[in-house]
Amino acid sequence: MRNIIQTLFLVTALGLGSTLTAQADEFTKEDLDIWQKEFMAVVAVGRTAFTDPNLGTNGVVCAQCHPNGANTHPETYPKFQKQIGRVITLPEMINWCIRNPLEGKPMALDDPKMVAMQAYITHERRNVKLAPGKH
Amino acid sequence: MSIINRRTLLKTGGTFVAGACLPLTNIRLAFADQSQDFTFAYISDSHIQHIKGTKFVRNWDQGLKRAVAEANLMSPKPDFVMYGGDLAQLGTREELDHGFEIMSALKHKTHYVMGEHDYYADLGEYWSSQVGKQYYSFDHKGVHIIVLNSILTDDHWTHERWANGTERMGVMAGLDDPRGSPFMVGAAQRKWLANDLKGVSKDTPIIVFSHSPLQKLFKNWNFWTDDAELVQAILQPFDSVTVFYGHVHQIQYNQIGNITFHSVMATAWPWPYPESYAQAENHMPHLTVPINRADPFFERDATGWQYVDINSGKATVKFSLTENEPRTVGYDAKRGYPLDTKYVSRSKPPQNHY
Amino acid sequence: MKKIFSITAIVLFFSIQTGFAEPLGLPPVPIPADNPQSKAKIALGEKLFNDPRFSSTGDVSCATCHDAAKGFADGPLKTSEGIKGLTGTRNAPTILNAAFMKSQFWDGREPDLEGQSKGPFINPVEMGLENHDPILTLVRDDRAYWKMFRKVFGLKKKNALTMDHVAKAIASFERTIISGNSPFDHYYFTNNKAAMTPSAVRGFNVFLEQGRCVSCHTVSQTHALFTDSRFHNLNVNFNSISGGVQALAKRQQQEKADGVDLDVSILTDKAVAELGRFVVTGQWRDIGAFKTPTLRNVDLTAPYMHDGSIKTLEDVVDFYNNGGFVKAGDPVNSFQSGGIRPLGLNDTQKADLVAFLKMLTSPLN
Repeated sequence: MRNIIQTLFLVTALGLGSTLTAQADEFTKEDLDIWQKEFMAVVAVGRTAFTDPNLGTNGVVCAQCHPNGANTHPETYPKFQKQIGRVITLPEMINWCIRNPLEGKPMALDDPKMVAMQAYITHERRNVKLAPGKH
Repeated sequence: MSIINRRTLLKTGGTFVAGACLPLTNIRLAFADQSQDFTFAYISDSHIQHIKGTKFVRNWDQGLKRAVAEANLMSPKPDFVMYGGDLAQLGTREELDHGFEIMSALKHKTHYVMGEHDYYADLGEYWSSQVGKQYYSFDHKGVHIIVLNSILTDDHWTHERWANGTERMGVMAGLDDPRGSPFMVGAAQRKWLANDLKGVSKDTPIIVFSHSPLQKLFKNWNFWTDDAELVQAILQPFDSVTVFYGHVHQIQYNQIGNITFHSVMATAWPWPYPESYAQAENHMPHLTVPINRADPFFERDATGWQYVDINSGKATVKFSLTENEPRTVGYDAKRGYPLDTKYVSRSKPPQNHY
Repeated sequence: MKKIFSITAIVLFFSIQTGFAEPLGLPPVPIPADNPQSKAKIALGEKLFNDPRFSSTGDVSCATCHDAAKGFADGPLKTSEGIKGLTGTRNAPTILNAAFMKSQFWDGREPDLEGQSKGPFINPVEMGLENHDPILTLVRDDRAYWKMFRKVFGLKKKNALTMDHVAKAIASFERTIISGNSPFDHYYFTNNKAAMTPSAVRGFNVFLEQGRCVSCHTVSQTHALFTDSRFHNLNVNFNSISGGVQALAKRQQQEKADGVDLDVSILTDKAVAELGRFVVTGQWRDIGAFKTPTLRNVDLTAPYMHDGSIKTLEDVVDFYNNGGFVKAGDPVNSFQSGGIRPLGLNDTQKADLVAFLKMLTSPLN
C-alpha cells in the first residue's frame, strides 16, 4: 500500500514537469543506460577540453574563470552578445572566449570537441529553466 | 563628496556616510584620537601566469600593473600595502619573480599573505625565501594585525598523494577540481594564534589577514576554511575583529558575532557567485550585495583592488573597480554589521553560520 | 480657432516626423522632451551654427571647426583653430550622429548637445567671447533673429530670450545632422551583398572577430552607431603625462574645486587635456580615457584620436594592431583599457579592415 502511494506521488510529481506520465513502448532501462553513458562520456571529453591549457595558446583554461562551467549560462542562448554584435548561439560564444581570453584559434561549430564542451556546460547547468535572450 | 565630521557621525549613529569617494583625497573620519586612524591599500589575486620564455599572460599582468599604478597615486599615502595572496598561478619561480617585479614599483611598504597558488608547487619554499614568514603579527597604531596562512591542508593530501609538486599544484589550482582538498589553518598555527593573543587586551582592535575566507561559504570552490569555527572561537572574545580575505575574486562581507568579514577583489579575473552553480549547496552571506559583471569583453571587467580606512578599529572598504562603479562597504555601528553605502535598503541582516 | 490651431500642430508634427525618417542603419534620433524638434527651430539653429558674429573676432562660427564639407569636422587640422589661429588640445569631433551620443565632448563633460553648444563661444581658444552677453545682445537686437526666436519659443519680451534658447535651437539643428544609408548599411541591413567590395566584406569580418573593433564601435542587427558612448584609455599620447600623473590629477581636481572652468583648462592646458574622462569624474578608472567616436564617415574626418595625432586610417589600424602604440617599443601605460592588446593582423587583413571603414561613408544628401 505504501509503495502504491509512493508510486502515485512520484507519478504526480513527474506529471507536473512533463505532459506525459506513462507511455506505451517505454524505453528500456538498458537503452536509457546506454544513452546516458554515451552522453556522460562526451561530457567528460568536454570537461577535459574545459580544463585543457592547450585549448588556447596562453595556457589559460576555461575553468579558470568558469568553475563548474558557472557563469556561462547555456540556458540563455541564443542571445544578443554586444561583443559580437548579433544574436548568437553558445558555440559562437565559446569561440569568442577561445579567441579572446585564451588567445587561440576558434573551432568549427560542429567540431566534436565543441559539441563536448556544450555537453559539459549544459550538464553542469541541468535543471535550470530556459531563459533565451536573458542577460 | 561629503566630508564627515564628528557631529554628522553622532547624528547618524556612527553610520559611514562616505558617498562618492574621490580617490585622491581619502576621507578620514574624525575620531577623538585621530592618530589611531589609518589607511592601507589591499591588492590581491593577480595570478601571474607564465606562458614560456619571457612571455606571461598579458591580461593578468595588466591587472596587477594597474592596481600598483593606482595605489601609487593614493594621497595621503597609505600606511602600507597588503598583498592578499595568489600572486602566481602555478607557483613557479618565474611567476613569483615576475609578480614581485611588478609589485616592486609600489612606493609603499608591502606585506604579503600566502595563497594556495603561491604555495603548493614547493610548499611555499620560494615564496618564503623572498617574503619571509608565512604567518606573523605586528602592531600598528593601536591595532593588532595578524597574518595567517589559511590555505594549508592535511598532511596526507599534501605529502602522499602526488607524484610531484607540479601535479599537486595543478590539482589545487583548479578551483572546481574534485581531487582538491579543503583549506585549513591547522593546529600548529591555531596554537600560535592563541598564544599571540594572550598578551592582547580584549578592547584592542584586531585585524586578521588570510587568503581563504575563515568561514565556510561554499565547499565546492574552496570558499571554505575547514577549521573556521575553531579560529573564530579564538578571535570571538575580542571586542572588535575584522577579517580580510582574498581567494574569492568577488565582493563578500559578513558579520559573525564580533567578527566582521570582508573579501577583496582580484586583479586577475572575477569569479561567479556560488549561487550560479545550481548543483551544489552554498552558505553565502545574506548580507552581501553581489557585484554584477560590467561587460565580459573588457578584460578588466569586475576586477579591481581596494583601499581600507581603519577608524577606531573598524574598517571602511573602498573598492576601486576598473569597469564597474566604485563601491564602499563600511561598518554600521547602529546595526552592528557592514553595509554597502549605496545599497543599504537591499541588505538583509546576517545569518549565523560558520 | 483654438481647435484648428491644434489640428494644424498635429499635421505639422507628422510632416516633421516623416521628414525625419531615419536613414538606413540608424535607430530613431533621441529627442529630449523639453526640446521638441520643429522646422522653424531647426532653421534657426542652422543660422546660429553658421554665424561667425558670435566670436570675439567675428570670423569663427560653429561651422568653422564643424564644416559640412569636411564631414562636420575640420581635417586636416590636428587640433581645431579658433580665433586668431589659436589652437586647442582636441581634434574636432564630427557633429554627424552626435545626436546619438550619451554625452558630449571627448571626455563627456556635457550630458547633451544643448549643454555642449554653449561651451565654445566663451572658450579663449575657440570663439573667444568673455561671456555669453554679446550673443544675447546680438540675437535680441537683430531683427531677423528676434523674429525667429519669438516665433520658435513663443517669447514675448526680448529679455526673456536666454542662452538656453540659443542652445536649444543649435541642438535641434544638430539633431538633423545624422548619417546612415552607407554601402555597409545596404550590405548589412537590406542584405544587398553587392553593396560592399569583397575586400570590405572580409574587412567587416576582421572588424567583428580578430580585430575586436565591434566591442567598442558597436553594431547590432537592427542598427549600427559604431560607438558604445563609453570611455577608454587607448594609450594615445598618455605617456606625455605618465611621469607626473599624481601631481597633475591632484592639481586638476583642486582647480576644479576652486571653480576653474573645465572647458578652459582642458583646451588650454595640454597636460590636463590628457587626463581625459578623469577630469569629469575624479575616478582612477577614467584616467586617460576618451569617448569612443562613431566610425560613420570616418574616411572624411582624418586625422584621428582625441588629439588628432594619427594621420590616416592605415595608421589607426596599425596602432590597434600593435596593442595601442604607433612605433614598436613605445611604452604602454598601466591604465590602458583591458580591451586593447596586440591583434596579430596581417597586411591583407589590415587593408581589408580599412576597405571596410571606407564603406561607412554616407552619400551626400
